[in-house]
Amino acid sequence: MTGRRHNPHFRKILVGYDGSPQSDKAVDVALSLGECVDSTVLVFAVARPPEPSTSVELEAVLDDAREHFEEGFKKIMERARGHELSVTTDMAVGHPAQQIIHRAEKDGIDLIVLGRRGRSQIARMMLGSVSERVLRYAHCPVMVVH
Amino acid sequence: MENVWVLAAVWVGLALIATLVAIWFKVSTALSEIVVGTVAQLIIGAFFVHGELGSKTPWITFLAGTGAIVLTFLAGAELDPQVFRAKWKEATIVGLVGFFGPFLGCTAIAHFVLHWTVPSSWLAGVALSTTSVAVVYAVMLELGFNVTDFGKAILAACFINDLGTVIALGLIFSPFTIKTLIFVAVSVVVFVILPFLTPRFFKRYGGRVSELEAKYLLFLLFGMGGLAVWSGSEAVLPAYIIGMVLAGTVGKDHVLIRRLRTLTFGLLTPFYFIRAGSFVSIPALIAAPLVFVALFAAKMLSKVIPLFPTVKTFKYQREEGLYFTLMMSTGLTFGTISSLFGLNHGIITQAQYSHLVATVIGSAVVPTMIANALFMPRHLLAPKHEEPAPMVQVRSESAD
Repeated sequence: MTGRRHNPHFRKILVGYDGSPQSDKAVDVALSLGECVDSTVLVFAVARPPEPSTSVELEAVLDDAREHFEEGFKKIMERARGHELSVTTDMAVGHPAQQIIHRAEKDGIDLIVLGRRGRSQIARMMLGSVSERVLRYAHCPVMVVH
Repeated sequence: MENVWVLAAVWVGLALIATLVAIWFKVSTALSEIVVGTVAQLIIGAFFVHGELGSKTPWITFLAGTGAIVLTFLAGAELDPQVFRAKWKEATIVGLVGFFGPFLGCTAIAHFVLHWTVPSSWLAGVALSTTSVAVVYAVMLELGFNVTDFGKAILAACFINDLGTVIALGLIFSPFTIKTLIFVAVSVVVFVILPFLTPRFFKRYGGRVSELEAKYLLFLLFGMGGLAVWSGSEAVLPAYIIGMVLAGTVGKDHVLIRRLRTLTFGLLTPFYFIRAGSFVSIPALIAAPLVFVALFAAKMLSKVIPLFPTVKTFKYQREEGLYFTLMMSTGLTFGTISSLFGLNHGIITQAQYSHLVATVIGSAVVPTMIANALFMPRHLLAPKHEEPAPMVQVRSESAD
């Protein structure tokens, strides 16, 4: 494997994916980085239910999220074919920052890569910035891709 | 407004605004629609003499009523019969305790503390006895509990709790005449036959562009709803039970359920929730805020106090038992359906309706907020890292 260096610090990379162009960029960075340092990459998406949901709406939101992310995952796996590394995908339900932090700890992730959405001040005040929360509470280094 | 299309445009415009608000603030569309309906009526009432949103127009009443019936059917169809069969004993006991606690507790508070009439107090008990399957299920999914025995038991218990609410609503205010007996007898026969008849009927004639399945289900829901109203009961009672008995057949037909959801969310439920919101009187809420406080406290306490010891008898861990408190959330759907039933039948006044809907919303929102705070991973509450995690900022050179 030419040009690949084994890096003991970044054996496992988690990249957050929400289908946005910013998260696509983050995935590309994670794939390139993962190939360079010989890491495995987990592409991780989180479906956020509305609060408080009605049961029918919740099921509808989850169904849509599954379809949306599965389509995105397929495209990512096609892009990943050009890279020499192991890529897996998964989806969780809940608050994105909470789920990313939880999964990173559970899987012993060494680096989290996220895209930055650049929400308005009001939206950030109401919903909070996922990247800022992950940055604050993650157990491992975090890379934010602009 | 006499122009049907202008009125329709106003209502669908409000639905559009509500959907945008729900998207921006990540709240449920139902909650957003109720609030938009309330605010819209407040504004129209303030700026126009005798200004009304047209909530009592017959075709709006029909669409809203259909929304409530189909939504209730879909809610019932989400029951997992296998899970229920496996956990029926725990689910039934916990579900009944979760229903009777607030049903009796809120009725008592409404009557003895707020001095509501006996029928109004019963209605308050019914409206606040419901639980939110969605709130519980969402938290289960977040924690991965939906696949555990514990998670399955609590979800099944939520269905029993809501079934108690629907039966109480359908029968307490019924006059109990020969019509009631006919309704109950026909219902039992229909509920027994449907799980056998429906899949066979769909297999033979379904799967065509003419949407036979949707027409068949609407026929059933309207027919049984009509029978229920004729007998003095409520149309959502048969709708919920039809959903439950067809959960193992129709409920598994993903394509059909999605088509029904499109119809429901796209056209029907906006009319239902906006209409429910339009009857809420903000001045009445401001005039007597302690009524809301009393009902809210009654709802919370009467859920938690009987549920905790019940859960303990099934030897769940204390931490697991805490999740049962999520059942104190009031479901928006059944909470508003019950309140609107009371208002439409003159059982409660508009002020009482306003307080009940406010309590329904409050008891759906507050437990969600508490759940979010309590069940966050501990490291989110108290950072264990003195220094923030190392950060690398990368600016992508991509053309876009």
